[in-house]
Amino acid sequence: MVLEKALPEQTHARYWRKPLDIDSQKIPRGKVHIIDVRCKECGFCIEFCPKDVLEKSDKYNRKGYNVVRVVKGREDMCVACKHCEDICPEFALWIEEVKG
Amino acid sequence: MATEEAAPPKPKKEEPRVGVYICHCGLNIAGSVDVVEVARVAEKFPGVVVSKDYRYMCSDPGQELLKKDIKENNLNRIVVASCTPRLHEPTFRAAIQEAGLNKYLFEMANIREHCSWVHLRDREGATAKAIDLVKMAVSRAVLLEEQVEQKVPVIRRTLVIGGGVAGIQSALDLADAGYQVYMVEKNPSIGGRMAQIDKTFPTMDCSICILAPKMSEAGRHPLIEIMTNSEVKSVTGYVGNFQVEILEKARMVKDTCTACGDCSKVCPVIAPNEFDMGLAARKAIYQPFAQAVPPTYIIDRNLCLNKGHVIACERCVEACLAKSIDFSLTDKTTRLDVGTIVVATGATTFDPTKLAEFGYRKFPNVITTLEFERLINAGGPTRGHLVRFTDFKEPERVAFVQCIGSRSENRGNPYCSNICCMETIKDSLLIKEHWPDVAIDVYYMDIRAFGKGFEDLYKRAKAEGIRFIRGIPAEVRETNGGDLKVIGENTLMQRVYDETYGMVILSIGLEPQEDSNVIQRLLVLNKTADGFFMESHPKLLPVDTPTKGVFLAGCAESPKDIKDSVTQACAAASRANILMARGEISVEALTPIIELDKCTGCGLCVKVCPFNALQFVGEGKGRKVQVIEAACAGCGTCGAECMFGAITNKHYTDAQILAQIDAALEVGAEKKVMAFCCNWCSYAGADFAGVSRMQYAPDVRIVRTMCSGRIAPKFIRRAFAKGAAVVLVSGCHLGDCHYINANHQTKKRVEKMWAELDRKGVRKERLQLDWFTAAEGQKFADRINEICGIATTVTAEEIQKAVAAYKEN
Repeated sequence: MVLEKALPEQTHARYWRKPLDIDSQKIPRGKVHIIDVRCKECGFCIEFCPKDVLEKSDKYNRKGYNVVRVVKGREDMCVACKHCEDICPEFALWIEEVKG
Repeated sequence: MATEEAAPPKPKKEEPRVGVYICHCGLNIAGSVDVVEVARVAEKFPGVVVSKDYRYMCSDPGQELLKKDIKENNLNRIVVASCTPRLHEPTFRAAIQEAGLNKYLFEMANIREHCSWVHLRDREGATAKAIDLVKMAVSRAVLLEEQVEQKVPVIRRTLVIGGGVAGIQSALDLADAGYQVYMVEKNPSIGGRMAQIDKTFPTMDCSICILAPKMSEAGRHPLIEIMTNSEVKSVTGYVGNFQVEILEKARMVKDTCTACGDCSKVCPVIAPNEFDMGLAARKAIYQPFAQAVPPTYIIDRNLCLNKGHVIACERCVEACLAKSIDFSLTDKTTRLDVGTIVVATGATTFDPTKLAEFGYRKFPNVITTLEFERLINAGGPTRGHLVRFTDFKEPERVAFVQCIGSRSENRGNPYCSNICCMETIKDSLLIKEHWPDVAIDVYYMDIRAFGKGFEDLYKRAKAEGIRFIRGIPAEVRETNGGDLKVIGENTLMQRVYDETYGMVILSIGLEPQEDSNVIQRLLVLNKTADGFFMESHPKLLPVDTPTKGVFLAGCAESPKDIKDSVTQACAAASRANILMARGEISVEALTPIIELDKCTGCGLCVKVCPFNALQFVGEGKGRKVQVIEAACAGCGTCGAECMFGAITNKHYTDAQILAQIDAALEVGAEKKVMAFCCNWCSYAGADFAGVSRMQYAPDVRIVRTMCSGRIAPKFIRRAFAKGAAVVLVSGCHLGDCHYINANHQTKKRVEKMWAELDRKGVRKERLQLDWFTAAEGQKFADRINEICGIATTVTAEEIQKAVAAYKEN
């Protein structure tokens, strides 16, 4: 069912069925690891995540920033493109590619 | 650019000697018009030397009669009162040309489409109207002048819009004949609907197996340039000389792609595959189907994670060994010069969700015929296994429901979609072939098996034990485990049926493409009431369009099967070939002449010319206007705009049109409606009303101009000065003008005239403005009845007031 979720939210109205071969389609998945203490709330990762997996939390870190967190319910949406890793100026997050 | 055909005509100042011929057209005209009487009255009209009635003027003996009379009576103007000039004007023009007369010395009175056919039960009114129409034609004829047509070269290249089987066939035929062909396809691959279908009827050939060789032949052909993922953005010019702009959207994959598919494997985005009707998934980088031409992969930019200039994901780039993926590629606009255009834009399918009683989308086991094609196709998502969606098991009983979205006045479309009966018969036989134990019932309205070999297939289906039950179900309900109950009335047995099936297949009809309006606007085409493109003549010009040099092929014109699409594609190619093989074409002599001593160089005409065919020469006070003949399309809106009478529009001069108005309103003007119609839409709409025998009041007199933009305010004023009850100005719908936007000038002029009428105390209702397409015959008839109703409310005092207000005109 994870893969079904991976379908774009706005598929063309004409094609509404769940594709029959959806379970055989392989999609890379990632697990987001955030090092809270490093985050400086710049928001780059939130802005540029193509799957909108990240958001600002109300939790403060030691430096007084609202650290980034994974949106509840979208944990499975990360496709491990690792763009956030590349653009984070503080090296505050990294993606672990999930096998299987 | 343009070359003259011969020396300019010598100015002849001879007395007009008019020959008038009233055609019986069998009983088509003579049935409701006293043709003998019309011919007798016409004899007295000024300038008329000969006036005769004849059974069929368009026949060879009829034409011979013309030629003989021209020689014997030294006639120099000919008027034939018969059908619409849109049908037989070329015939008679050719005949008088053979007799040595210039073809512009011919005039036609339309007493069939505009008279006898629309006043079938009013012989008196029709005869009076026919006399008026002949009188108008004669008064115009005496003022006609010889014209010399110019010849313009035809570019020997062609544009095919749409890459389905019809487009492919047209392109191949034209390319094989030696012309450069550009094929524009909206989708990433050519192939169209035929590529999706499993087998074809009635021969049960594998669809893609016969199409794929044609697709790759088109792809390989040195004279065919295929532009996929592309759209036509603009079309300008005229027959033989179209300038077209094509927007080619970037695929983000270069043509060095080897179609290995490595990129697709690593792409993290899934979407339903359109080719498989969403029954299978594809990635954001994909090949639409295995036989795609071009085989190059494409990135779906709506789905790819990389938006704008932000490259978030590079998996495909890293996976591509051929280094073919390039996110820096941008959309490209290409300008092409072509001589002819083939429109093969195809059709789309009806969405049965609208018919809620059949439960499509509510019940997974209700599917459409197109989904069935993909399901049963060996290359499809189930590898050709017939399974239902709830449990992936083979159904024991299957029902087909016909006419989904077709042949219904208020729900779906009123027309028959042509292909669905045979598609169902073919599909049911396919099921029987692979799974003989599956029981099949077909619920139908009428089975239409009219083509070659169709009836045999129908008989075969019945012999195979497929049951045909007359009566479309009233309802489909889901029961246990995804089974479906089909309930309705068998209208032959007058018995209610209530049957259970494992799967219900809806036989969906065809509809015009959702974006066919874009092509309609760009090429100024007409549509019939069902929304498909309209041909020039339903019988004799079935692939031509009113826009010269543009031809129709395939389902863009009407729903049709593969064979008919291919036949029509060959016909369209052949018609385009005729134009291009000749290499030049004469354009009608309708350009304006500018009298330099009257021209003040004010530039009003330059502003309104839709084609930029008028240009300034000289500077300051000596500034004048000149005509670029090759660019002029002959709408005549310049002549209507000029306030100094400096512009004479050849063949549609002010004097000629005013003479027609005078003749029309000579007697009984106070009851009459003076109508002005443009040749392409509103006059053709009136013709359509005639062909369809839509009856309306006989008080209307129509003057034809090429464009409603030619209708000058002075014509309207003259009509009121002569005592007309109501004046109707009509043209193509705004946006559909055959001269780009000349009818916007019509609208402006009529609005100004309304203000003027208001000032002069003339009721504004007496000037009507309306737009008709060539297909709006019913609307035309209804409006004329309505306007004739207004005419009866106009009092004698009102008429007198308007006459007094405009008497100097």
